Amino acid sequence: MNPRAVVVLDADGNLLRVTAGFAGLVQRPASELLHTNLAELLPGPETRLLPQLLREALSGRPVDFTAELPLQRGTITVLLLPRPAAAGQPAGLYGVAQPVGPEAATQLLLERQRQLATILDTTADVVFVLGVDDGQYRFLYVNHAFETTTGLPTGQVVGRLVTEIIPEPALGEVVQYYQQAVATRQTVTWQETSEYPNGRKTGEVSVTPVFGADGSCQLVGTVHDLTRQKEAEARLEASNERFHYALKATTDAVYDWNIAADTLYWGEGFEALFGHRLAQNPAPFHKWGDYVAPAEYARVVAGLRHAAFETSNVFWQERYCFQRADGSWAAVFDRGYILRDEQGRAFRMIGAMQDVSVQKEAEEQQRLLLKRLEKQNADLQQFTYIVSHNLRAPLANSLGYATLLGKVDKNSSVFEESLRHLHTSLQLLDAVVADVSSILSVRDQQGSLRPESVVLAEVCQQALQSLETQLAACGGQVLCYIPEHLAVMGSRAYFHSIFHNLLSNAIKYRADARPLRINIDATRQPDGRMQIRVEDNGQGFDPERGDVFQLYRRFHPDTPGRGIGLYLVKTHVESMNGHISVRSAVDAGTQFTLLF
Amino acid sequence: MLVKTYLIDDDTLSIYLTEQLLRAEEFSTSISTFHSAQQALGRLVQDTAGTPPQVVFLDLNMPLMNGWQFLDALQPYRQELLGRCHIYILTSSLALTDLEKAREYDLVSGLIHKPIDTEEIRAIQASLESPDIPEPM
Repeated sequence: MNPRAVVVLDADGNLLRVTAGFAGLVQRPASELLHTNLAELLPGPETRLLPQLLREALSGRPVDFTAELPLQRGTITVLLLPRPAAAGQPAGLYGVAQPVGPEAATQLLLERQRQLATILDTTADVVFVLGVDDGQYRFLYVNHAFETTTGLPTGQVVGRLVTEIIPEPALGEVVQYYQQAVATRQTVTWQETSEYPNGRKTGEVSVTPVFGADGSCQLVGTVHDLTRQKEAEARLEASNERFHYALKATTDAVYDWNIAADTLYWGEGFEALFGHRLAQNPAPFHKWGDYVAPAEYARVVAGLRHAAFETSNVFWQERYCFQRADGSWAAVFDRGYILRDEQGRAFRMIGAMQDVSVQKEAEEQQRLLLKRLEKQNADLQQFTYIVSHNLRAPLANSLGYATLLGKVDKNSSVFEESLRHLHTSLQLLDAVVADVSSILSVRDQQGSLRPESVVLAEVCQQALQSLETQLAACGGQVLCYIPEHLAVMGSRAYFHSIFHNLLSNAIKYRADARPLRINIDATRQPDGRMQIRVEDNGQGFDPERGDVFQLYRRFHPDTPGRGIGLYLVKTHVESMNGHISVRSAVDAGTQFTLLF
Repeated sequence: MLVKTYLIDDDTLSIYLTEQLLRAEEFSTSISTFHSAQQALGRLVQDTAGTPPQVVFLDLNMPLMNGWQFLDALQPYRQELLGRCHIYILTSSLALTDLEKAREYDLVSGLIHKPIDTEEIRAIQASLESPDIPEPM
């Protein structure tokens, strides 16, 4: 007897009619089967796909599938055919079931085993099965991943005891977890690191006990390899640590600008360099901008925001002044790298502020030194030019007169006069040589000058005494307003020379129309410098006509003089690190101002 | 010889010397001396209409108006003076820059370093007699 096993199904898979053959096949009374769902009758992995199969068949395409009958009563194949909608009845399906013979069933079983083996061998995780026998754990199965991960060939592992495979110290720990899994009948999970032929491996291990009907026990284990993740974590940690120490080692103020939050995360350098205590770190962006020199704010702070938001630049750098906590200013060189997303929008900037105050100061000193040297060099060149000229003039005359003396009659008046002129020329030559010698001696001493405290009023009085006769002769009057004890650091001899030269000039170039008046005063300036003024009501001169302090510069050709006095005054003043300036107007007077 | 000659120099010793050297070489019997360039300029401008000096010895380094300023002041009279008045710079300076600068003035016939010597005086005499002979510059 081979009754047809056929069912009529609605669109959802509910049985509407069954044949006796089908009832026999599933070994349930037909009356019980009505209105049950096909999926309930055929539990198993395949029936999960049933709704999809039903839809496919309803669309007009016959499908068939294989399913296990409950309680291991065999395997059946079911063919689903569309049942067109009839009058008053919705569309449904026919199902034709047929048992599968033992041979075909074995085929299916083998197929499923192959599938399972493929799955197990292609999964990246390690899978193993241990047989538990009297406290011993023996490998019954390991997948391919086991071999690739540990480097141990499958053949050397299966059939061996765990104690032969897993090295100490991991072994002791592992066995405890196995015992726990068996004792608690629960899955146990832990992290394990062991040395294998393929190197140190870290993994998350999980074992699940499976008990057979006979009381036998197997442990099914999986290992998820964490080695790479662990290594990456370790590398990240090492690099973070390096960055941390680099931050400590650098004297720069390293920062990380989070542009979305507009905050700056500061390295330790910020507090160390500038002394500002950070109440919070990261700190708001403006905490930095607040200390940028106000005059430079637009260039630096606005400039940075412009570079970040309005350009596609990745590098930014600026030199500016930054205020320290104590109020002083640091010269800063700030460089940063702007990180941008795919659209080019800045989202972060890493940078460092470097305190270059010391370098800047050194540069400034070097600049001043260079300026001083350049000036000295120019002075020296001018000195050489002037001296050579002023040496050459009396020398040329001497030569000429020597020649002339050989040409004229020894008894003539020309001979007599020429001899006198030769003598005068040689005296002038000697005077220039003497000038050069005295100027050079001031220049020579410039470096070795040992400053002493000089009481100005005293030195001024001494200079006046030496000029007393000349002053009296012209009816001149000197008013000295220098405070009695006022002293300045410098050379007594130089101050004497300065007063003597300025006063004798005032006498020499007095105005005939009015009695000579000389005012001298000395005051301490608000900036701490000493100011000395020597003022007369004499002839004066036109300052437009040249530098009165230049060697051999003469403004009054009718008054005898060599043009060395004011040059010496200036040399003396400058050798004491002072400064001299002059104001004058023709027929009004002259005022010299000295600053020390 | 009646070569009308001007000597312009603020240095009295130098003026006396040059005058005597010129006389010793019988350069001229008509030598006028000026202690300032301004003074000489006034006279020269007056002379331009009549008989300007044939030779002028001009010092460079003088106060108030130096030799260059004197030459600049003569520029308006250049046409009248060219070929008639020969200006010789007579300076104690040995600076090469003076020589360079002297070339810029076509009124300047030469530059002589003090003291003037016999050869230089004779060369000037020769160039006055026959203007084709190159002048000592």
